[in-house]
Amino acid sequence: MKWWPIRGLSRFLTEKRDYKSDTSVKPMKKIFRRSLHVYTIDVGNSNLLNFEIKELQSPQYNTHRFGIYFADSPRHADLLIILGNPTEKMVEPLMNTVKQMPEPFGILIVEENEIVEENEKNSLQLPNVVGKLKNPEPEEILGALLKIMKGN
Amino acid sequence: MSMIFAYISFTLYILGILFSFKREASYLLSFLGSIFVFVTGIIGTFYPFTLGEIELLPKIYMSMDVNHLSGIFMTIAATSWIAISIYSVDYGKFYSKDMGLWLNLSMIGMLTIMMAKDGLTFITGWEVMTVSSYLLILKSKGSFKEAFEFLAFGELSTVALIIAFASIFLKNGNFSLVQNSGTALFLIATTFAFAVKMGIFPFHTWLIGAHVKAPSNVSALLSAPLTLMGVYGIFMALSVMPNLYLYNFEWWGILAVGFGAVSAFWGALQALAAKQLKTLPAYSTIENNGMILSAIGISVIAIGDPNLQILSAFATLTAIILTISHTFSKSLLFLSIGHAKEALNEENIDDLRGSWSAVGKIPALGIILSGLSFSAFPPLIGFVGEWMLLETFFQSYKLVNVGEKIVTTFSGIFVALAIGMAAFSMVKLTGYTALGFDHGKKSKNMPNMAMKIAEIFLITFVVAPGIFAPFVVKYLGYGIFTSGLFGVPKPFLIISSIPVFGVLSPTFFTIVFSILFIFPLFFYLSRRKKVRKIDPWNGGLSLKENEYFSAPAYSAILEIVLKKIYITKEKISDYEAHIEVVDVVNLFYKGLKSWILKIEKIISQILMNGNLNVYIIYILIAFTVIFFILR
Amino acid sequence: MKILIGVFQKDGIEHYIVQENGVISLEVDPKNMYFENYTFIKLRDPIISSYESVRNGEGVFDFRYGPVTSGVGEAGIYHLYTYGERILSVDVDLSYKSRKLDQMISGRDPKEALKFVESICGNFAFSHSVAFSRAVENSLGINIDPVTESLRIVGIELERIYNHLYVISQLALAASQKVLSSHLSYLFEESLRLNKIFSNSRYLKNFNRIGEIKIPDGEKLQTLKEGILKIIDDFKKLYDHALASGNFIDRLYSTAVLKMSDALKIGITGPTLRATGVKEDLRYGNWMYEDLQISTKNDGDALSRMEVRAEEIFESSKIILQKIQILQKIQNFKTTPESMEKRSNGLGYCESPSGTIVYVIETKDSKISDLYISTPSFFGFKGVANAMIGNVFTDFQFAIESFGINFADAAL
Repeated sequence: MKWWPIRGLSRFLTEKRDYKSDTSVKPMKKIFRRSLHVYTIDVGNSNLLNFEIKELQSPQYNTHRFGIYFADSPRHADLLIILGNPTEKMVEPLMNTVKQMPEPFGILIVEENEIVEENEKNSLQLPNVVGKLKNPEPEEILGALLKIMKGN
Repeated sequence: MSMIFAYISFTLYILGILFSFKREASYLLSFLGSIFVFVTGIIGTFYPFTLGEIELLPKIYMSMDVNHLSGIFMTIAATSWIAISIYSVDYGKFYSKDMGLWLNLSMIGMLTIMMAKDGLTFITGWEVMTVSSYLLILKSKGSFKEAFEFLAFGELSTVALIIAFASIFLKNGNFSLVQNSGTALFLIATTFAFAVKMGIFPFHTWLIGAHVKAPSNVSALLSAPLTLMGVYGIFMALSVMPNLYLYNFEWWGILAVGFGAVSAFWGALQALAAKQLKTLPAYSTIENNGMILSAIGISVIAIGDPNLQILSAFATLTAIILTISHTFSKSLLFLSIGHAKEALNEENIDDLRGSWSAVGKIPALGIILSGLSFSAFPPLIGFVGEWMLLETFFQSYKLVNVGEKIVTTFSGIFVALAIGMAAFSMVKLTGYTALGFDHGKKSKNMPNMAMKIAEIFLITFVVAPGIFAPFVVKYLGYGIFTSGLFGVPKPFLIISSIPVFGVLSPTFFTIVFSILFIFPLFFYLSRRKKVRKIDPWNGGLSLKENEYFSAPAYSAILEIVLKKIYITKEKISDYEAHIEVVDVVNLFYKGLKSWILKIEKIISQILMNGNLNVYIIYILIAFTVIFFILR
Repeated sequence: MKILIGVFQKDGIEHYIVQENGVISLEVDPKNMYFENYTFIKLRDPIISSYESVRNGEGVFDFRYGPVTSGVGEAGIYHLYTYGERILSVDVDLSYKSRKLDQMISGRDPKEALKFVESICGNFAFSHSVAFSRAVENSLGINIDPVTESLRIVGIELERIYNHLYVISQLALAASQKVLSSHLSYLFEESLRLNKIFSNSRYLKNFNRIGEIKIPDGEKLQTLKEGILKIIDDFKKLYDHALASGNFIDRLYSTAVLKMSDALKIGITGPTLRATGVKEDLRYGNWMYEDLQISTKNDGDALSRMEVRAEEIFESSKIILQKIQILQKIQNFKTTPESMEKRSNGLGYCESPSGTIVYVIETKDSKISDLYISTPSFFGFKGVANAMIGNVFTDFQFAIESFGINFADAAL
């Protein structure tokens, strides 16, 4: 039986490269420069975005080295990532979740482009929106998160 | 002079009995009587005195006295009685008028027990207490079976006491309970009698049924002062034994430690799985009495060794502090729970939730503080007691005998587990009953001023003796165990041995804790307006009525994991499911009962089968036998 | 053994969608057929309940898990009725995820509709796309040439590999096998990147089209071959180590058991059914799959489901490599769809990573006028609800992950 950590270390699974975000993501306050706790909420995406978020936690991206952690409760989080476009019944849970976020917090909206065009948009007055991504790959999300962490 | 106080209290109780046609008067008289008992106890603790000696036959007296030990116990019991009497002014209205009569009578009985100087007086008091308590339990409807079980076990201890006093009579020619008059048989019989009264495993089953079924003020009376009589009895019995340190009574100590620890463990374990409101505190009583007995046991083991006199004294002190802690906290717990139970008319822990908002802050605070005290939360009195008990067990390494070491070590483990589990069960009780969500329930309209006064009175007695525990230790006459160290001035520190083994200063803990806690509290209060209030996080939706975590579910994991001990049965039918937990000892008594009934049936069929010839033969045989015996 | 997986009405006549021996067939107006899951399929209630419905009793309460939890990433609710630890009965609420996509699709041009079909469930996008295209092709009378069919098979198997890798990685995570889980999630990401190189989309979207497929060049095929070989090699090592870990196996063994009879009664298909011992796979009925080895296990627990999935990863890689070998020999990739007679309705199906996906469509003026979708997750939730009965809370994660189902697929 192999010694797993050694195997992991010897293979250099973590990628070293720059993650760029071209979208108009706004940075948040300076206090998040070293640590950003993220909570994701699915409000009706096709599970694809859920997969991408899961992927962001894979060894290739190794978000912990940047201080990005995935929280298990919105009360522990600094940034709320909303995946998809809210279905009718998810509006209430979404608003409740936003209420739970401790100040200061930010909201990053991630959408899938296919349905957004057609689906009737729920005009939600979401506070503190720092950016909007469309059908991003994990590296784009990571780029956005890093930009959010840069501080203004 | 001091005996006047004792006579006044007796008189007041008797007046209380006479005035039982008027409820308030009766309870107020018992309240006044208890105050006089309190005072008598304090006087007797420092200035022992004798009173009322009646000569029934030559050499056979009935007499009373108050000494240091009974003085302490009278003070403890009287505190509980005062609260119960005040509480009953309001609570008694739900029950018939003769409740006041039996309440006063049972107090007279207990007072007589504590002041008894001889066996006859003791047994008289014991019987008065047992019978009047039996009648008190009967006050609530449908409690006949439980009341009868109480009476049966009560009479069992009376029988044991008669044997014990007979053995004294055989040895000394009188019933006097003074030094150096006991025998080994006396010790065994009294220990059995008092262990039954304390609800020591496996004689605890009567206690559960009786406490659950009785009215709440009676539950408090049964749980605190009545089992206190058992503790007092054991102290009394040991004081009668000739020179404990010369003769080898280690075997008694070992048995006491073992049974005490098992009792504590069993009580705590069953309390965890309790579903009814008063079952949980009732099992907690068994746990606490077990801890008290094990402390007494260590004291007796240690007294045999001249080098361990200090440990023995500390163990005795531990037992007394635990007794104080249990009596005050348990009275408070039963009274507060009774208040909430009556106000919301519920029976189960799961149904009675959130009395803080639904019933009132005082009963809720009573439940919380007594629960915290039983969970050994500093600086409450329960914390001091349980710390001392663990210190006692830690010091058992000093014992010389290997057998004693093994027993005390394993008993220590059981007791530590019991203390941990007690915290778990108290969180279950207080978390739901006092602090839970009330589901919009409103308490029914009832007079509760006296109840609140009684609760506040007891809250003071749970908090203050904890904070000023070193002074309590000094008051009890154990000043050697208070000291000053590490910048804590004398006598604010309790030390567990000389030379110093472990130290504790609840007073200074309180001061430091207040500084650390109260300052942030003020900081919080001053910024309160900026605080955003939101619902608890529940997965994005607010909780519906049936989505609240239930109380049985809180302890279900333990019931499922420990299914061999609890004999857990998960009953799942098509539309209904629940977990059934059994106290094994109950099964034993059930089996015993059915066997006895069977044997009785067989005997009755043989002897009383309606056959005239058999009767005549029986009479003839009996006659012949008696004739030959008396010839 | 016939399995009912869909019921729809057409012109007032009831049609059953029945799967048997790897083939889906439509039974028109079947009077003499009885299936236990008929009402379940017919009603299509968004709240799926277990057969046992114990909701009362001392201390029994509804432990609601969802719609916003980190344990279940998706918007859906599990109502676990319990008296503490033991799960007595389960309700799964799909309504929070319902986007009413099937309603949005009808009335659209098939090419436009394909985009919606791919958005039903992101991780089964290709299976949905293929099943839908097959239905449209069946209706429009388009015959598919072997090259396109081969590429579709490659796509389906690629999707199977990454989904199975994901499921096993999640199971490892649920058992706190963090190292194994991380290595598997590394492979999962690698396989998605391979998809991107091969099809220009991480989830094989926009790869399949009606009647045709984006033809990749030889270089891409070669990269795919090398990538697959590398992933499978790594996975084999990881899987062997995983099976040697007593802790991990112990946690999965006898957890969330679904018996064969229950699985058939519910209408479960895919690896979950195969884990109960039924050798049923739609790939059987497809002549393009040569010497297909279908693995089955008999216990029906989380471990069996994981083993079936792991063995399917190896089988899928074998199939992909076979197809690449054949495709590499073909020089001319130009494909010409043959035309056949047109029909008003079309049936298309495909073996997705978690079971059978069936599309029945009806066309009018080359627009989709009506459609019926049968997805494996809908049955999977009924299965998971029943498999969880009698388990404890800590088994929950193993139950839901081992079924490999999701709300997006079930709620549409």
